Amino acid sequence: MIHKDLGQLFRLKRKKLPAYMTENVSQDLICLEDLVKIYDTGAIKVLGLKRIDLTIKRGDFVAIMGQSGSGKSTLMNILGCLDRPSMGHYYLDGIDTAALSSDQLSEVRNRKIGFVFQSFNLIPRTSALKNVELPMTYAHDLSKKERQERARALLERVGLGARAQHMPNEMSGGQRQRVAIARALANEPPLILADEPTGNLDTASSVEIMELFSQLHKDGATVVVVTHEEDIAAFTERVIRFRDGQIVSDQRTGGGRPASGVNLADRRVPDACVPGREKGGDA
Amino acid sequence: MLLENMAMAFSAIKANKMRSILTMLGIVIGIGSVIAIVSIGDTMRNMFADLYKDIGVTQGYCQVKSWMVDDWRQSDMFTLDEIEQIKAVFGSEIAYIDSAASTKGEAVFGRTKVDFNYEGIDYNYQEVQPVNIIYGRHLNQGDILGRRKNAVMDVKSAEKLFGTENAVGKTFRTTIYGDVQDYTVVGVYRKDLSPIQAMLLGDNGDGGSAYIPYTILTWPNDYFTQLHIFASEDVELGDFYRRFSAYIAKIKDRTPEQIYMYTAEEEMMSMDQMMGGLALAVGGIAAISLLVGGIGIMNIMLVSVTERTREIGIRKALGAKTRDVMIQFLTESAILSAMGGIIGILIGVGIVSLGGLALGVPVVVKPGVVILAVGFSAVVGIFFGLYPASKAAGSDPIDALRYE
Repeated sequence: MIHKDLGQLFRLKRKKLPAYMTENVSQDLICLEDLVKIYDTGAIKVLGLKRIDLTIKRGDFVAIMGQSGSGKSTLMNILGCLDRPSMGHYYLDGIDTAALSSDQLSEVRNRKIGFVFQSFNLIPRTSALKNVELPMTYAHDLSKKERQERARALLERVGLGARAQHMPNEMSGGQRQRVAIARALANEPPLILADEPTGNLDTASSVEIMELFSQLHKDGATVVVVTHEEDIAAFTERVIRFRDGQIVSDQRTGGGRPASGVNLADRRVPDACVPGREKGGDA
Repeated sequence: MLLENMAMAFSAIKANKMRSILTMLGIVIGIGSVIAIVSIGDTMRNMFADLYKDIGVTQGYCQVKSWMVDDWRQSDMFTLDEIEQIKAVFGSEIAYIDSAASTKGEAVFGRTKVDFNYEGIDYNYQEVQPVNIIYGRHLNQGDILGRRKNAVMDVKSAEKLFGTENAVGKTFRTTIYGDVQDYTVVGVYRKDLSPIQAMLLGDNGDGGSAYIPYTILTWPNDYFTQLHIFASEDVELGDFYRRFSAYIAKIKDRTPEQIYMYTAEEEMMSMDQMMGGLALAVGGIAAISLLVGGIGIMNIMLVSVTERTREIGIRKALGAKTRDVMIQFLTESAILSAMGGIIGILIGVGIVSLGGLALGVPVVVKPGVVILAVGFSAVVGIFFGLYPASKAAGSDPIDALRYE
């Protein structure tokens, strides 16, 4: 499945990262210390996260679970450096994100995090190839040719080599999500952050996507999946449950396969979400 | 990266063709009208310059201001002897001089009667005001000195009076200064004018015109009030006419203020200035439409930013910095505006060229104006794109990603 030149392409010489990204090296990829998030709506203050302590090691495959309003989306935003904590610290790859400017946060998102969203979030009217190129474009350190080669290799890695020139609206949900995963891998970030990655997919595509994450994990990536579905969480090796802004459980599981007794076929996804989808044959 | 941004901007512009075209229209009209107006102004100035060259930019008229002096006297007039004296003083600086005399009279040939305008000229008038003699000859020294009743007329006048172009040898009867005499046509000429020149110089309408020896018009007492001078091509006109005017003041025992000195060059320059100012003023008004066009661009860019909020959120999540987003939207508005500017130039130059072609006038489009217009339209695009672009760049990625 892995493109034979990909390793070669990943060893391309890249721009030296700024000092704040490299000066502290930590054992743990993610480290939350006494983290608090308060939403101040003016009239009332809502406590989104209540003093969270959490560490995620490199190479972990983690599911973050909880009902809506449990604080898992808030945590997702903070883990993704889209938002800053109100109190406490979040260290990502040794970087204290609380101290960064918004442009530095952009830089951290660009180099350290690969996002996969529920609604795919591909740029419309822009080919799969160009979408995958985008994070490399914003890194400003590869030539156009290098970017294209690498984007092509990444698309082949997720099984979409033949669809590089397709527009997002010409692809099924599963294919779009695989383009999004290829894009998440573009800058070889240490962390893959997936927010309900199967929320808009049918069963077969969901399994394909989760298997792809499992494969990435086996290849050494750290993957964090936010979900509210047990059968999706069952692919992971560690499940962290949230309720009312607090961690209520943190369990190591076997992972890799859905737990027995969970019937994936029961899941129903509206057809509208999977335009022109095919029989999952190109995985 | 710049090329990348431009490609991105073009695809965004292409995605909303109709909207982009309508947005550009403001700039197209603005730039088009500025270029057209400034070029029409330049063309007119050029035309007037040609016209003055045609009628003789070196010429001038000089006399004592009879309307200003209380003690008008016989010696304020000029004589033929004085003309010789002036010629001797200024030598080769004067290319031509005569008495600036002209008169009207009815020319009669058989039963045909035409109102004629007679202009008195010296034999070397052909040197300063060349005409194309097609039949016969021009007036010569013998005609002038002998006060011969010979005339040279243009083809149109000849046709009106005689019904034929070749009127050489024919005679007509006319009254000049109350003296009825027969005049003989010795030459017929043709002078080609562009339609605009004909319009500006005026047509004689039903009348005709002819040259006769100026010595006829100074007769019987050989006194006249005005001098008509053509300076040589190589003299500095301003200086020459100052000295000329001072000399006349001296020989007429008048103060310099009492001498009327009209020169074609001065008139041409004041005309040129007036038209330049006019073109600038109208061009300035046209430039206001550029402002309106710029506001149109700002409006559409704001709409575009709102529409693409989610896209901006995605880009920011993937690592786009404030500057990256800013540049993307600024490039888009600058390209929108510059495209409008280029189309505007084509239309403006097109209109002026077509007009010039229709009127048979050589068109002047200064490259500086075109460069200025393109530069200005790009600046308009960047200036009016600044606010929408900074709005896009400053948006919060979480809000932007949530935006539906």
